[in-house]
This record gives sequence, C-alpha cells and structure tokens, in this order.
Amino acid sequence: MTHLTTDELVDALEGALTSERQAHLDACEPCQVQLAELDTVLGETRTVTVPEPSPLYWEHLSARVRTAIDAEPPAAGGWSSWLRWPVLAPIAALAMIVMALAVAVPREPMTAPEVAVSELPGDATLDDSFAIVADLVGDMDWDTAMSAGLTVEPGDADLAVLELTVAEQQELTRLLQAELTRAKS
Amino acid sequence: MTHGSAVRTAWAPASATGWTVTVVEPSAPDTAAAIDFSAMDDAALVTASVEGRREAFDLIVERHRRTVYQVCYRFVSNHEDASDLSQESFVRAWRGLKNFKGQSALSTWLYRIAVNVCLNRVSVKTPATAPIESTDHFEDTRIEGAQAALLREERAAAVRKAIASLPKKQRATLILRTYHDLSHQQIADILGSSVGATKANFFHALANLKKILGNEP
Repeated sequence: MTHLTTDELVDALEGALTSERQAHLDACEPCQVQLAELDTVLGETRTVTVPEPSPLYWEHLSARVRTAIDAEPPAAGGWSSWLRWPVLAPIAALAMIVMALAVAVPREPMTAPEVAVSELPGDATLDDSFAIVADLVGDMDWDTAMSAGLTVEPGDADLAVLELTVAEQQELTRLLQAELTRAKS
Repeated sequence: MTHGSAVRTAWAPASATGWTVTVVEPSAPDTAAAIDFSAMDDAALVTASVEGRREAFDLIVERHRRTVYQVCYRFVSNHEDASDLSQESFVRAWRGLKNFKGQSALSTWLYRIAVNVCLNRVSVKTPATAPIESTDHFEDTRIEGAQAALLREERAAAVRKAIASLPKKQRATLILRTYHDLSHQQIADILGSSVGATKANFFHALANLKKILGNEP
C-alpha cells in the first residue's frame, strides 16, 4: 500500500484520517516518523502567542478606525458626485432651454385629466404659486431638498426631452444647432 | 429663518384664499438611542451600516477588532504595524460593505480583507526580523527559570521569523489554521483556492518550518 499523501498527512495530524489509511499508518514506520516531525513543528508553532495589548488599546483602535473613515472621501457614484460643475452645467443649461421652450412655444390646449385635482382659488395666480415654492425652498439645504425630491437626478434631463412635443423637440434642435454654430464662430 | 417659520409664512397667503392647508411634520428619524444595535447580529449590523448608521459599523469594529488585530500581528509580529494594518482592514471593510452579499459570515469576509491587506503590505515591507516582545521582565537572572523563559522567547522569535519567511499562501494558511482554527474550507474561501490546495499549503508550510527551524542553533 502507498505511503500517506500530503493531504492524508494533514488529515492524520488533525485526526481525520480514514480508517483504511489509519491502518496503513499504524503499520508504516516512515509515515509515522514523518507525521511525528510535522506534529512537533505544529506543536512548537502553536506555542507562539500574540502579546495582549493594553485594555485601553481596543478603544483606541476603534477611535482610529472612526477617524480614518471620517477622513474618507465620499463614495464615488453617490449623489454628491453629481454636484460637480462639469456634470451640473450641461444639465442646468439643458433644463433652462427646456423651460424657455415650455413657456415660448404655443401648445395645444390640454384636456383635463380624469383624476380630480385641487384647483387654484380664484385670486391665486401662477406667480403666487412660484412665490410659495420659492419661499419654501429658499433656505432649504441639499439634504432636505433631496428628501423632498426637488433635486435633479441623473436622467431627468433625458426624460424632460422625451416629454417635449414634436414641435418643441424641433425648436430645441434648432436652438441647439444655432448655439453650436455660434460657439464654432 | 427656520424651515418651520418659512413654511408657515409661505402658506399663510394660501390659507387666506380658502385652501385647506395641512402641514405634516416629517416623521423624526430614528435616533441611535432608540435602536439597540448591540442586540443585532452581524447581518443586521451590516444592513444598518450600509444605510449609513455609523454606530452599527462601530459595533462591527468592536466585535471583530481583536481577531483582526491578531491576524495582522501574526503577519508582522509587531504592535505598531499590526495596528496600522487593522485600521486599514476596517477602512477597506467600510468601503466595501455595500458589496458584501452575506454569502459568507462577516468574520470570514473580514478575515479575507485582513489577510489581503497583510499580504499586500508584507510584500512591500517584509520584516527583516521578528522582535522579541517585552524582554525586560526576563532580565532579572536571580529568578529561577528566567534563563529558560528567555530561551523560550528566543525560540518563539525564531518561529515567528521562520513563519515570516514562508511563501504568502503557506504563511496565510498556517496562520489561519493554527492560530485561528479555521477549517480548510474557510481558508480556501478566504484565499480563493481549493481545499486540496489549502491542505497542500499547510503541509508545505510545516515542512518548510521544520527545515528552517532545524537549521536554527
């Protein structure tokens, strides 16, 4: 019968050898010698301990970890990465164009939705509504605006374009082309 | 102007026009005091941490810091480097927490991070020697047995040095199996290898230690 393989010697060290191979080990002196040598080294290795740090050390380690995490830059891909000007500027420009078009281009009268909505009282005007919104969000911080859904999310500009009528899209194309021509010249 | 007063001011004209205005205060966010993180298991703490609860991650650190430190110490054999590596391991865990899918135990995942951090660092900065810690208390030779203790500590230092000289995977396998009692399957998961390879690494680590220590005076 063949001698124990390396796997089997490890199994033997850990008392997990099959009975068949254990029978070989019991009868094989070279395997017994090899196993005894490994067992001696393992025993000596196990006696090496890790010095226990001061009891105060563990809180110190936790504090170090907290400080290091606090110093971490915000995770890439989070909402804050959208706050950079190279990202915001084109979105803002597109949003302004869309808003201008929405006001300037005449639209067919829309049919009233079937879902009931509150109507503005008689003396309330559109400007009043904007004033209310402006007053509400005037001193709102970013987090509050985020939770209220008032911020521009990635893809909002694309959706806004998709919602334009054909005439509005044509006008947007014309304006963009004019802007590009002007920029080139 | 506070948000509350801004809301009241803004809605005042609207109320005057006959609208029925109901201002609903946002529900107060859960406070740390209201949540007993200490009762949570690791999986719940991971979820809470991913949701931004730093207290939950603090508790993860508290639960696993000793183990992570000990793994790191086994690799570098000195307190300062072990501290640095432990800190780096937890910072990496924080960064990668949202990618932790819970397919293995959190402790296994942390072992993997710590081992990778240590192997990367050790490859850059291999300790030239393994220091003998706190030998001061062995200096009083009037105490019977002090000489034997010193010899024992010197031998331990020789073992540490021998372990430090092992190839990476043999060293990691030996440390995780011998000192942390992880199964070969767990070690294979941590090192990204097979159980067979882990057993082979363990065997060769012991064989190499025998060879190195056999040449020690």
